[in-house]
Amino acid sequence: MAGLYGAAAALRLALFTFFPALPDLLTSRVEVSTPVTSFKRLQEGLFLYNHNVSPYDGGVYHQAPLLLPLFSLLPDASAYPFFTYLLYILVDIATADALYKIAESGEAAASKLFTSARKDRRWGGYVVAAIFLFNPFTIATCLGRPTNVFTTCAILHAVAKAISGNPLTSMLALSFASYLSMYPVLLLPPLILLAYDRQNPANRITSLAQFTGITLLTIAASLSTLFTASWLLTGSWEFFASTYGIQLTLNDLTPNVGLWWYFFIEMFDSFRSFFLGVFWLHLSSYVGGLSIRIRSQPLAAITILLGIFSIFKPYPSIADISLSLAVVPLYRHVFPLMRYTFFAASTILYSAFLGPAFYYLWIYAGSGNANFFYAITLVWSLGQSLLVSDLTFAVLRDEWEVERPEMVGKEIRQI
Amino acid sequence: MMTSLFSYLIPLFLFFSNVFASDYHEQLNLKPLPQSSLLASFNFRSNTTLSQFEAHNFRYFPRSLGQILQHVGTRELHLRFSLGRWDAESWGARPWDGTKEGGTGVELWAWLEADTEEQADLKWLTLTNALSGLFCASLNFIDETRTTRPVMSFQPEGDHGSNLDNLHLLHGVLPHEIVCTENLTPFLKLLPCKGKAGISSLLDGHKLFDASWQSMAIDVRPVCAQGQECVLQIEQTIDMVLDIERSKRPRAQGNPIPRPPPGHDLKCNATKPYHSGDTCFPSDFAEGEDWSIDQIFGKFLRGTCPLTDPNVPAVCIHVPERRDIFTTANAVELKNSDGLSRCYQVPSEGEFSMILPRMSREGDNAKTIADETVEPETPLLYAERSLTGHGQERGGVQSILTNPSPDTAVEFVYMESLPWFMRIYLHTLKARVEGAPGVKDDIIEEIYYRPALDRARGTQLELRVRIPPASIVFLTYDFEKSILRYTEYPPDANRGFDVAASIITILPSTSPGAPPLRLRISNLRTTSLLLSLPTPDFSMPYNVIIFTSTAIALAFGGLYNLLVRRFVGADESPEGAGGLKGKLAFLVKRLSAKFKGAKVRTE
Repeated sequence: MAGLYGAAAALRLALFTFFPALPDLLTSRVEVSTPVTSFKRLQEGLFLYNHNVSPYDGGVYHQAPLLLPLFSLLPDASAYPFFTYLLYILVDIATADALYKIAESGEAAASKLFTSARKDRRWGGYVVAAIFLFNPFTIATCLGRPTNVFTTCAILHAVAKAISGNPLTSMLALSFASYLSMYPVLLLPPLILLAYDRQNPANRITSLAQFTGITLLTIAASLSTLFTASWLLTGSWEFFASTYGIQLTLNDLTPNVGLWWYFFIEMFDSFRSFFLGVFWLHLSSYVGGLSIRIRSQPLAAITILLGIFSIFKPYPSIADISLSLAVVPLYRHVFPLMRYTFFAASTILYSAFLGPAFYYLWIYAGSGNANFFYAITLVWSLGQSLLVSDLTFAVLRDEWEVERPEMVGKEIRQI
Repeated sequence: MMTSLFSYLIPLFLFFSNVFASDYHEQLNLKPLPQSSLLASFNFRSNTTLSQFEAHNFRYFPRSLGQILQHVGTRELHLRFSLGRWDAESWGARPWDGTKEGGTGVELWAWLEADTEEQADLKWLTLTNALSGLFCASLNFIDETRTTRPVMSFQPEGDHGSNLDNLHLLHGVLPHEIVCTENLTPFLKLLPCKGKAGISSLLDGHKLFDASWQSMAIDVRPVCAQGQECVLQIEQTIDMVLDIERSKRPRAQGNPIPRPPPGHDLKCNATKPYHSGDTCFPSDFAEGEDWSIDQIFGKFLRGTCPLTDPNVPAVCIHVPERRDIFTTANAVELKNSDGLSRCYQVPSEGEFSMILPRMSREGDNAKTIADETVEPETPLLYAERSLTGHGQERGGVQSILTNPSPDTAVEFVYMESLPWFMRIYLHTLKARVEGAPGVKDDIIEEIYYRPALDRARGTQLELRVRIPPASIVFLTYDFEKSILRYTEYPPDANRGFDVAASIITILPSTSPGAPPLRLRISNLRTTSLLLSLPTPDFSMPYNVIIFTSTAIALAFGGLYNLLVRRFVGADESPEGAGGLKGKLAFLVKRLSAKFKGAKVRTE
């Protein structure tokens, strides 16, 4: 394990050292940095915070308040970038470590209520962590230093802790993730189920309602602690509107790889709030359905939800797809059941390469217009949603084949 | 009968007006500038006592403006309409030390009396809307995103006594506003003589808005002289720089399209070896121009305004003593003792003009350029500002400020009020000094920064900077260009957005031996900038809504199908075997069943 982490850290350090312009180039890319995660905006927020101007009384900084003291402890990022690099590398390795634990637990193939017939065909933690660490999207994210790597880390730790039977730690990690990015709060129902299933048998709470009550209280307590700390830090509740409000109202329409920005640029003013409601409702509508339908495999529900969030979030970036691609290899055992792997993979690759080119044509060359980049984000989202629904199909079919072992390898249909 | 009555009344009226003579005066200052330009400064000033003003007893003070000011509790008002660029490199220091000019477009700032900030905002809204109607300008577009409350840049010019505490300074700029004739007409109507007599009779939209640079200013402020009642003073100023050559062109009769001058009218430099009948190297401006007031302004000065202070000469011109000047009859020339200017008392009736003939550069009595124009004064500071970077994603602003003085440092406040869609990164603000050796770069002494809020307010940045002698300061910062909702773009979206001029206030020198010029506040404004933002495709709203909704529906529909439907083997399906063949067979079966059923029923 140390060798893998060392190699990943060395690769990142080498990229930081030998291509000193690369971090700033990636930071300025819309695919990496969004208004709610951008490292440059964090720098601006930090500058204002250190000069006693409220960073939330402006339109630039939309990130959680507690990031400010964390980064002001580090030496100035423009003068001594090494410490910032080190922090991001450590966060990546911590994320990979959580992923390693999840993969090693075997939860993906054999949960408490369900054991896949294919459970032996899985990848170990080493492979899964390596796939995450050497995924080009993860490396680009690490170099671009958006702040949602902390969210990624917190989400995976929440899952890892839930599997290892520490529901309270898991809820703490999830509330930290929600505090940073808001959307992880939607992972709560499947995570509670996962933690409930994986409780320590010694002090097990049998009633699901009671367990849910306790976890919800934990979440509420830890979130209110975080909010109070933020309030003490900034001296006002302004940060709510600026940090979470912007994700609800989409005031900043900076292009990104998602579907929201162009839709709400072109939206008629009178329907704006209606469609904002519809988009958020759509995003949260999957949670209930998946938690109920795949009750026996809460980790699968989380995996699918992470994929959905990386498509339909208000401000998605490649950091989100690197998270969703990090958990997909846990389902190595259902890969043979997937039908459109090649098509989905090539669509994602196609749009990953064409996206920057089309953005350049629009913004810099002026030979294309906004539709070029919009079209590529549409393809990107379609490719990802194909991957997600294909994975869902595979997981469900795997589950069905346990009931009907005679149907393995046969043609099926849905009615 | 009627006429005779009036002719009796007029002397009486004139007598009466002389009693209050100092309440109104007007003066035109002409100053030939290098490169065949002429600066014409019109100044109109009238006073009314505060008690008269509050009793709604308007005399020289325009009633229309006075009522607005009273209604919204405006204690001091400054309104500017400007066009063009002052070429400081060749024209030198600005007229009135730059205090009577605005940035390109319309600029308004006022001190309003209000108890709270919200009340001040409401009054400001009323004021801008009322002035918008009065001056036919889009002042009502000065909304909260274009309004700032400057902290260091503006100081009240009037005497407000002790009630400065509940005065609120608000400042707004419309850089995109095109100043034109419709703004001049209401401006002239505020004058007691309404542009019918006196120096204001020279003002004509065709000439004023054809100028290389022009600025119309209205300043209202209370002035309290020692031991006298406080007066409310309204000062109206028009400054313009005319290109003499261009202004002398007769207005095209019936054909507004400009035509090149015929060959024999071209001014050629005959010393060039290739000079001949069909080749012409244009001569430079040093050749000197001959001009007269009626040529430049297109009309004669019509008498004097009968209300004006007769002791103030109507026209002054700043030229060396050796410059020949001829005037029409009955004008009295008053030479200034410094030998650099002279003034003319204009006859109260009849037309007045001034002719400045061409002065020969050859022969016995050859004259030089120094005999024609006074050397312009060197300004305290040169300022220019430009955008850097390319592409429509991000950029930078660079301001270059030059202190030409070899021995004195200049302290000034640099103020930017930027639109909210230009998201500036203050942590990238850098000041670099070039020139004086051994000077450190930390010349910014104080920063006031109020960041922009999306769609709610613009950025306000004020910097107090001290620039060492004989050095150049480069102020730079980065910004990001936001993309807007498609309804927020103007109809010509790809033209770009105007960014208001930055305002530089040079603070008075505190050193005891400073020259008088340095003891006053002087101003400077850079040009406005044109910022191009990324644009969406404006024809696409329906398509985008449809495409995005389709993508979402595909993802949602696919997952929904997977989640709610049951798996069965292909051969177990009630719809028969899978595949196209199976489906077709099933369809045929169902259709035939239907037909059979129908037949049974019809029978």
